[in-house]
Amino acid sequence: MIFRTPKQTGEWVNRDKKINFTFEGEAFSAFEGDTISSALWAAGQKVLGRSFKYHRARGVLSFANHDVNVLVTDGVDTNMRGDVVTVKEGMALFAVNTKGGVKKDKNSYIDSISPLLPVGFYYKAFHTPRRLFPLWENVIRNAAGLGVVNFNYPRILKRKTHSHCDVLVVGAGPTGLTAALTAAEAGLEVTIVDENRQLGGSLGYNRAADSKSVTQLDGLLSKVASLPNIKVIASAYAAGYYPDHLIPIVGESGINKVRAKAVIVASGAFEQPPVFRYNDLPGVMLGSAAQRLIYRYAVKPFNNGVVVTANDYGYRVALDLLQAGTKIAALVDMRSAGNANSAAELVKRGIKVYAGHCVYEALASSDKLGVRGAVICAYDDKQNVALTDNKFTLECDGISMSAGWAPAGALLYQAGTGMQFDYGVEQFVPSRLPNGMFAAGKVNGIFELEQRVRDGVRAAHDAIRHLGLQAPQNQAEKHVGASPSHPYPMVPHPKGKNFVDFDEDIQIKDFVNAAKEGFDNIELMKRFTTVGMGPSQGKHSNMNAIRILAKIRGLPVEKIGTTTSRPFFHPTPIGHLGGRGFHSHRLTSLHDWHQANGAVFTDIGAWKRAAYYPAAGQSKEDAIQTEALAVRKTAGIIDGSSFGKIEIHGPDAALFLERFFTGEYTDQKVGSCRYVMLLDDSGVIADDGIASRLADDLFYLSIGTSNAAAVYREMQRSQQIWQLNLGLVNVTGAFGAINIAGPAAREILSTLTDFDLSFESFPMSSVRESQVAGVEARMIRVAFVADNGYELHAPMAQIPHIWNALMQAGKKHDLRPFGSDTQRLLRLEMGHPMPGIDTDGLTNPFEIGAEWAIKMNKPYFIGQRSLVILAKRPLRKQLVPFVLADNFKGEMPMDCNLVVDGRNILGRVTSISYSKYIDRCIGFAYVSPDKKEVGSVFQIRTDSGSLVAATVVKSPFIKTLKGA
Amino acid sequence: MQQFDVKKIIETSPVVHAQLKESAKWEVINGMNTAVEFAGVAIEGARKKVLGVADISCLQRYGVKGPNATQWLLERGIAIPTTPNSWTTCEQKTLVLRLGSSEFLIEDQLGGSACSRLESDKARAASVYKVPRADAAFIVSGSEALNLFSEICSLDLRDKSLAAKDLIMTQVAGISATVIRQTLNGEPVYRVWCDGTYGPYMWEVLIEIATELGGGAVGLTQYQNS
Repeated sequence: MIFRTPKQTGEWVNRDKKINFTFEGEAFSAFEGDTISSALWAAGQKVLGRSFKYHRARGVLSFANHDVNVLVTDGVDTNMRGDVVTVKEGMALFAVNTKGGVKKDKNSYIDSISPLLPVGFYYKAFHTPRRLFPLWENVIRNAAGLGVVNFNYPRILKRKTHSHCDVLVVGAGPTGLTAALTAAEAGLEVTIVDENRQLGGSLGYNRAADSKSVTQLDGLLSKVASLPNIKVIASAYAAGYYPDHLIPIVGESGINKVRAKAVIVASGAFEQPPVFRYNDLPGVMLGSAAQRLIYRYAVKPFNNGVVVTANDYGYRVALDLLQAGTKIAALVDMRSAGNANSAAELVKRGIKVYAGHCVYEALASSDKLGVRGAVICAYDDKQNVALTDNKFTLECDGISMSAGWAPAGALLYQAGTGMQFDYGVEQFVPSRLPNGMFAAGKVNGIFELEQRVRDGVRAAHDAIRHLGLQAPQNQAEKHVGASPSHPYPMVPHPKGKNFVDFDEDIQIKDFVNAAKEGFDNIELMKRFTTVGMGPSQGKHSNMNAIRILAKIRGLPVEKIGTTTSRPFFHPTPIGHLGGRGFHSHRLTSLHDWHQANGAVFTDIGAWKRAAYYPAAGQSKEDAIQTEALAVRKTAGIIDGSSFGKIEIHGPDAALFLERFFTGEYTDQKVGSCRYVMLLDDSGVIADDGIASRLADDLFYLSIGTSNAAAVYREMQRSQQIWQLNLGLVNVTGAFGAINIAGPAAREILSTLTDFDLSFESFPMSSVRESQVAGVEARMIRVAFVADNGYELHAPMAQIPHIWNALMQAGKKHDLRPFGSDTQRLLRLEMGHPMPGIDTDGLTNPFEIGAEWAIKMNKPYFIGQRSLVILAKRPLRKQLVPFVLADNFKGEMPMDCNLVVDGRNILGRVTSISYSKYIDRCIGFAYVSPDKKEVGSVFQIRTDSGSLVAATVVKSPFIKTLKGA
Repeated sequence: MQQFDVKKIIETSPVVHAQLKESAKWEVINGMNTAVEFAGVAIEGARKKVLGVADISCLQRYGVKGPNATQWLLERGIAIPTTPNSWTTCEQKTLVLRLGSSEFLIEDQLGGSACSRLESDKARAASVYKVPRADAAFIVSGSEALNLFSEICSLDLRDKSLAAKDLIMTQVAGISATVIRQTLNGEPVYRVWCDGTYGPYMWEVLIEIATELGGGAVGLTQYQNS
């Protein structure tokens, strides 16, 4: 541990507990609490990873959860961030994206051919010939990238929970802590979240060698701990903003969705690097990264460093470095004026200060794995030009960089905050906050510690008043002093390698070239250069990219704008997003019977339905044909409990149906059933079903399974508008239904009811209420799957009793169950198209020949106006029943195969099946209107491309007993 | 024609599909086959302290809605919650839940008789519509109850937000459900109702999470004294 400092006040490591681990096969030791990077750095291992594209050696950059060139794998997980993931005993770690390890990465040759690989090179270089693109894609993907996905990654449940509070404070630095305390002291329930595992933010490490801030932090933390109405969530980040102040907080164990009444964003700012040649070498790091290394992990960033700064912050960093025992070769201030007071203090301690200078380039060590020096020269910070006439070299093994800040304003942007560029601080700050959102501290453009604390109080007071309590109205302050950010901390260099985006190896020249190619809008430039599209999502590059583009275009920064900030703010594992799998489903009361009798289930809407019941060794197709034949020759029984079932009570029930559906119902007789068809406002078929009139003021509606919930919702919505005298009762779950159908159905049913089932007493399309097997049931004569069909509707809990009684009674008729797949074949044989299967989101009733179901002379029904318009237009397609050739033995067309005429698409097959009963392949298809006549022949193109002739016929496909 | 005695029809709890894999003790309560015990009394008692989930679908219910439903119930001696989305008790053994402004769910606890009395009144009244009920119903109790709900319900169910007589209709584990907070035998519990066809799913979700949190299935007997 050659870089470990003496004990630091408030350090995060536990020196009493040593941890052993390996990195790329080499043994290392660490203290408990060390991150992977801090442990390696303390041991003198400075090459921690390789860059995404050029495979350049990289070390510590931010130490703030954004060191995306230091991604490691432990063999199970990948892309683990070395700067924040704590090291555990026995870990065997390897850097990702190397070929041969970080020190001897064989892909590092790519760096030497980088002039051949500017941004976007692959768009152009490998565009043609197209057949070779897969080859190049493979080469590129292997050479560039991140970790390898482990497809055997264990399924570890990450819970997604909800919580609530009055005030959510994002960020637990001095601003956030003060805001939280102020709100809590007013009696509010406060949640404060911070991505670090310990609270305090910069108060813990931005010390300028003065431990006063530690005392201040301890005071704040003890107050927080003493207030029970403050809930602290550490090691978790606020990942996004959603309406009504819903903020997902992502932590190791899952996502906590916090619903707050007010949100105070005190998320701080990301330190931004100055851009100079070789600013990416291991040993070149942000000033705040050096401070974190020192105070959190007691690790010296380097032994003899150069501090380059473009603001006052670098002077503080210099003092911290000295405190840690680091020699400072010089402090280089890019500002011509520098900071005389701070400089004097350093000079007193023997440090050379060069104002109006820059680091022209960092010099790489011979193995290119570290820093051996820095070339310093004068810098014109008005023209942003390096004046190299008198450049000189300072030997050093590290460079600390401070150039400014970019607000961590993602949540503010996502919430719809208006932002404006404040030249006093050279950053975007909130100008118009959404209701209930408040910003404080650095993200609000306030940088001095005392001001930040006051800003935290001010924001908390605003939040308290927003929540209806009394609190003073403090005036928002403006930043006092020199700008904390430099307007353009870029140092041009003819040889480039002055990196703007460390995620994607993007240099200044890449932006210039992108602009020359016409990608001079920030959104276009982002996509062409990929700036900000790496794992750190531009947290260290977007602001510099905006500044560079502004310079190129000669525009002020605010005219360039920012790219869109979308949730999630930080890469989040898929497992977190997935959480526990909630797959809600509905079961009928017969589910266990179906299961016990070998049913294969299918999902229809929210329901698990029995699709068919194969005998041992029987194929699906055979099972369906066997079940269908039973319905045709004897009798079959199906569980229809999933059908939508809705009661419409009240004097206006018939009027409601007339408005809601296309048909007429006011004159419908009690005891009769009528077809209903629902359209949407554009005249598209939404659903259909049967309306049974049980009384003058009571209709019982049965509709399709899939759309039932949506239809009921639409009925409720319509009733809200129409305000008719009626009540809607959704009995889908309360009532079950059984359909018994086939030649023997009546005889079987007659053994369980004393109701007269004769055709005269109980004709087709009628409804009766009577007892079946002792249970009060609604019996409906339907001919959906067969002429002789009876739907029996009864309380769901009593359906198994009726079912079992029917099965028992039907034994001598070989009554057998059939499933929903068989039902589809049976209704096809009957010639009934089904909404959602034979129609789609564009189909109107004219296209399926359902004019008979529409009563256009009614005053109103949903979709009527659109139908009036559609009726005047020529049909574009027509659903027709068709058969394939007798004894057809070719490749069977499938649902959705196209109907074609040469290269023209005329339509598609919507349903097709072989019917063993009539020994013919039958189906429905959309064809052009000129092919709709019986006898017309059209061609279906199969999956393999072959053409199959089909002939339009009349439906039904089987003989039926009309009106029986 | 075959003769059937409808009174002898044994119904099963809508949740039963999800309970078959448990070695539960079954009893017929209110004509419904119900799991009354999943483990020994001591084990269930311990579960209940942490997080107990009981299936109480067998309780009798009666639903009614319509503009005149309030008056109709009052005339039949049912106490009405004064505000929408709230609940009250009547006759000591009956819960009266006001679902919105003009819809009610009446639930008799064991020994209650209000539902059968209302059920026997077959006369149709103007603007009063019976709502057939086939709910799956659950009691959730224990120190981790809120932790469980935090995963399946986005609303704040803590005492400070869900007042003693508040009723909420919301999504629980992605499906529509009704939730109240109640004190049973001095113990705070949550009551949850959902459509019975979702019952097995809801049970599986509740038990999965409850088990992870140190609780589990609890038989109806644990609450029978209520």
